[in-house]
Amino acid sequence: MKKFITYFLLYIIFCTLQFFFGKYINICGVFPNFILILIVYLGLTRGVVSAEITGFLFGLSWDVFSTDIFGMRAVIFTIVGYLTGIMNKHFDKDSYLAKIVIVLSANLVYWFGFSFIYWVLPASESSSSSFITAQAAFKILATVLIAPIIFFILDRLEFFVRGDT
Amino acid sequence: MHESHKTRYGNIIFIALLTFGFALIIGRTTPYVSIIKDIVYYIAYPNVAVANKIFHTTGRFADNIKSMIFLYQENLAYEQKNQELEDKIRNYNIISKEYDNLSKLLNLEKIKYTKSVFARISAREPGEWYKWLIIDKGENADLRKDLPVVIFNKSKNTLCAMGKILEVYKSSAKVALITNSIYELPVEIKDKGINCIAEGFDSNLIKITYIPSGSDVKSGDEIVVSELSSVFPKGIPVGVIKEVMEETYIDFKTATAEVYFESDVIYDAVILVPCESV
Repeated sequence: MKKFITYFLLYIIFCTLQFFFGKYINICGVFPNFILILIVYLGLTRGVVSAEITGFLFGLSWDVFSTDIFGMRAVIFTIVGYLTGIMNKHFDKDSYLAKIVIVLSANLVYWFGFSFIYWVLPASESSSSSFITAQAAFKILATVLIAPIIFFILDRLEFFVRGDT
Repeated sequence: MHESHKTRYGNIIFIALLTFGFALIIGRTTPYVSIIKDIVYYIAYPNVAVANKIFHTTGRFADNIKSMIFLYQENLAYEQKNQELEDKIRNYNIISKEYDNLSKLLNLEKIKYTKSVFARISAREPGEWYKWLIIDKGENADLRKDLPVVIFNKSKNTLCAMGKILEVYKSSAKVALITNSIYELPVEIKDKGINCIAEGFDSNLIKITYIPSGSDVKSGDEIVVSELSSVFPKGIPVGVIKEVMEETYIDFKTATAEVYFESDVIYDAVILVPCESV
């Protein structure tokens, strides 16, 4: 029950952060991908199942609010969650550098996934024309820079929820 | 063993989710997917709407805090100003007391202070246009009978005589105009020292009587209130001579004059109330 409430709260907080505050605190349209950071965090701390299910649900929610191809983000976030979940046992959990490298890799997977789907599907259907742009690079940079802070907050939160055990 | 099960379980879920995801992409235009889209939208949208509400409420709250701080700063500035004014009043009272003592010692006549009460003209009957009018201040503004009423003449940039208070009520007063036929005002020809009387005529003109027959009074001379007036302070402009009658009656001649207060549209009046101190 506690786990479910925590996930539900995280869902509300990150949905609000990503879909609502993006329009207020962006710099020239560049805004970090908080949801991606959360999925990476869950993948690295909780494993494959949590990360891929959360990724899928977040992706689906984002798809609902966006005008891009429906289901695209659900698939990409599921893949990101799965890949980071696999690394759960194979990285140093105390190293922030390792986490940042994984966030960067997850970002690249996310943007290449986007490009691939747009390449496969007819471009005329979508409202967004190109995703691999200079802005995407800045978005990746913003996400990578903000990731350590989000990781720190989530670590504190997990410590608070779980206690000392 | 447990780890292997978990991995397999994870893989199965992954494949299931991917399949479902690709199914959504492929069938994104079908009604089934639209239903899923709507369901997810109605689950996720309230969060965003509530966040929007909270965000705007917080914004308003921040604005209120800002205005409170601004008011506090303003209040501080006013308090400081108030303190300065209080100091000035204290100094003034000390000087006033010294002045009173010195006046008593030297047997000097004290300067008369007046307080200006500004009033709006609330009624002026067309049938009795040059007789009287009503102002919106009365007893509640310390007005009493026989107080002088003046107006600010824009073209002359000075106060000009208009009349005196005839009747006072709680929040209004009736002003008899100097053009009223019952009104007589001691005046003098400015810079010539000729004392005469201005009499109302129930028109925009007043009659200047008791002008010595040999005096040099001509059209264009200005009339001001003389020292003999018990209502107006000395020197307040009244009007300007328009025409001098040459016929004399018992060594005096008469003239007509245009009053200054009628040269502008009148909305406000100033009542000069004598007081002990400023």
